[in-house]
Amino acid sequence: MSSATSLVALQDRIRRIERPNALRCGVLPFRAPAIDRALPGGGLALGALHEILGTGADEEDGAAAAGFAAGIAGRVGDGIVLWCLKQRDLYGPGLAAHGLDPARIVLVRAARDDDILWALEERLRAANSPGGIAAVVGEVGRLPMIAGRRLQLAAERSGVTALVLRRWRNGAEAADERARPSAALTRWRIAAIPSLPGSEPGIGTPRWRVELLRCRGAESAEWTVEVADATGLVSLSAELGDRPAAPQRVAAEPWRRAG
Amino acid sequence: MIAVGGRQILAAVNPAAAAQGIATGMPLADALSFLPGLLTRPAELAEDAAALRRLAEWCGRYSPWTAPDGADGIKIETTGSAHLWGGEAGLAADLSGRLARQGIAHRVAIADTLGAAWAVARFAASEAEEGACKLPVKTGKTGGIATSLVVAPGETRAALAPLPIAALRLDPAIVEGLHRVGLRRVGEALAMPRDALARRFGDTVARRLDQALDDLPEPLSPLGEVPTRRVRLSLPEPIADPADLARAAERLTADLVARLEREGMGARRLDLGFHRVDGRVEHIRIGTARPSRDPAHLAKLLTGKLDTIDPGLGIEDVILAAFAVEPLAAEQIEMTGNSAAAGGSGPLFDRIGAKLGLDALARLEPRASHIPERASVAVPVETGCRPPPKPFPVSTGEGSAHRARVGAGTISEPQKSPRPVRLFQPPEPVEAFWVLPDDPPFRFTWRRRTHRIAQADGPERIAEEWWRPDGQLVGGAGAPDAIRDYYRVEDASGRRFWLFRAGLPGAPPPRWFVHGIFA
Repeated sequence: MSSATSLVALQDRIRRIERPNALRCGVLPFRAPAIDRALPGGGLALGALHEILGTGADEEDGAAAAGFAAGIAGRVGDGIVLWCLKQRDLYGPGLAAHGLDPARIVLVRAARDDDILWALEERLRAANSPGGIAAVVGEVGRLPMIAGRRLQLAAERSGVTALVLRRWRNGAEAADERARPSAALTRWRIAAIPSLPGSEPGIGTPRWRVELLRCRGAESAEWTVEVADATGLVSLSAELGDRPAAPQRVAAEPWRRAG
Repeated sequence: MIAVGGRQILAAVNPAAAAQGIATGMPLADALSFLPGLLTRPAELAEDAAALRRLAEWCGRYSPWTAPDGADGIKIETTGSAHLWGGEAGLAADLSGRLARQGIAHRVAIADTLGAAWAVARFAASEAEEGACKLPVKTGKTGGIATSLVVAPGETRAALAPLPIAALRLDPAIVEGLHRVGLRRVGEALAMPRDALARRFGDTVARRLDQALDDLPEPLSPLGEVPTRRVRLSLPEPIADPADLARAAERLTADLVARLEREGMGARRLDLGFHRVDGRVEHIRIGTARPSRDPAHLAKLLTGKLDTIDPGLGIEDVILAAFAVEPLAAEQIEMTGNSAAAGGSGPLFDRIGAKLGLDALARLEPRASHIPERASVAVPVETGCRPPPKPFPVSTGEGSAHRARVGAGTISEPQKSPRPVRLFQPPEPVEAFWVLPDDPPFRFTWRRRTHRIAQADGPERIAEEWWRPDGQLVGGAGAPDAIRDYYRVEDASGRRFWLFRAGLPGAPPPRWFVHGIFA
């Protein structure tokens, strides 16, 4: 046995001792090789808690995070997706464009973070009863360590994937919460970045910067991807690989010159 | 003591004062001259009414049809429930005993009609207390402050005849008029021809006589909603331990479920009332997403809210009432043991619905509408059996999107253009800066942040659906806002927004809104 293989086997054993259930439910590959390579098991662990953050002002609006979560939730089974939120701004047709059929969503509206966390856990605990559930998504500001750990355990036990979108009321709350550790298996940060210019003027291919900030058993990493389309899949932005020289943006449009 | 027309009047007196000749309705000045040491307190009429209402609710242990009557009475429809206490006398004795233990001075009367019971309670009882009872009624005494009287069926006329005419629930003015013509007792009025009475004093006297004698039905409008199914548990000893309360809830649920099963029904709303020994009633109310008669499920919903119940000194009665009851076919259990019910998700959401309210749960359903906020609506989950929703039209972000040259004024195909994941309702106004009114802005300020627009797609024109009664956009029909030009814009940092200009381009001043954010 070569030292490399024995090292891998050893790492695998350690991982199993540490988290006997961590990858028990399998993984959901992103089908983007660069991302899947960076994740233990070759994809997003199912039956686990994942945290998704926004950047800048989107930490309050949670638009990019919602699109990323829709791309994941849409590909986890075909049951109900429980989406718990405080604001009523989730828009069905927009989610469909990122691969989550809104007809599968059951919305739960609550006024407080605690109620949302409770609803998520409640639903995870009841996951074995009929009426299959594919995933639960919660939009919360605060995610205390204990609540996160409970969610992680409930997700592990039920095999249902839980996504928590962190949505902060304001910059102060964001600054306060951003640095806090959590019990989630992974933490992602999604940012909308300028689109890849196409051959025509206007908005080109919309893109995200996807950052894996934290992942148990893996290094943090960062990719530039084209946003999840109706299949729910992101694709690595052509910028990373070989692509024809970018056409110059239409140099000066009247309204830009004015700005 | 209440103030009436500038004078202060005694609203109520206690027995000690009554013994000194002080009476209700006396002006305060007179009373004080009779009895200089009289202690008075301002009357709290609202408090009294609330207390009476609570007491009427407590009386729900005897029958679901209970209601406060005036400022000092409670009506109870005992038909069909008296046998639970071994007859009307038993019921009256039980009620009187419990009221006396709570220290409530009262007179209980049971008669064939509401009118007769009212009259007997208020007038015959006082005569019975004085020992001058020549009435054909059974008297039960439970102490100085309590009397209970039962008028035997068919004896109504005889019981009413010797009572003063005021016992007919008449205005004091009419009573005075009847006195003037020499009618002082109910019996004398009974002997009079009805039409003569009606001519002289209006319909009221005749109607009250008919109501008292059961010639005219007088339905009792109960306090609150009358449950369709009701089960009750009377406890020999008051209980207060949460575990006991949970057991009581489970037992009642089992009783109710057994009944619902026989009838092939399922309950949608339940009310579990805990009647405390001090006369207060504590409620647990739950609703379910679908009609249910699963005892474990219902009991779990009820006991899940037990911590909201304050048992006080103890609970003596527990009543479980089902309000919304709907047919529920016997459930087919699959061989695997899974319930085959469509959707099958009812019970799972009930616990969430019970805590956060059923209206917290919703589904997104597509609608055929061009107007963005109307193309996807949140409908309550609880709306029974819904047809499978139509699939949402998928708007692909790229490729099929109709991309127009900025300012070219082309109108895109609805639903072919990308739609945002977050949609603000209502759209939020922004401060926009533009060069040409037909173009998207080059900069806009929203929520105190300024965004410099780097790229823009559009416009996509969405006009009001004038053929629908509710199809009007901001501003109403014919207003310039009836037309919106939507632009998808990307700011310098890469965030993509859905902006629209309300009104026709060129029609000043255009107003800009942000309607959504793309992922």
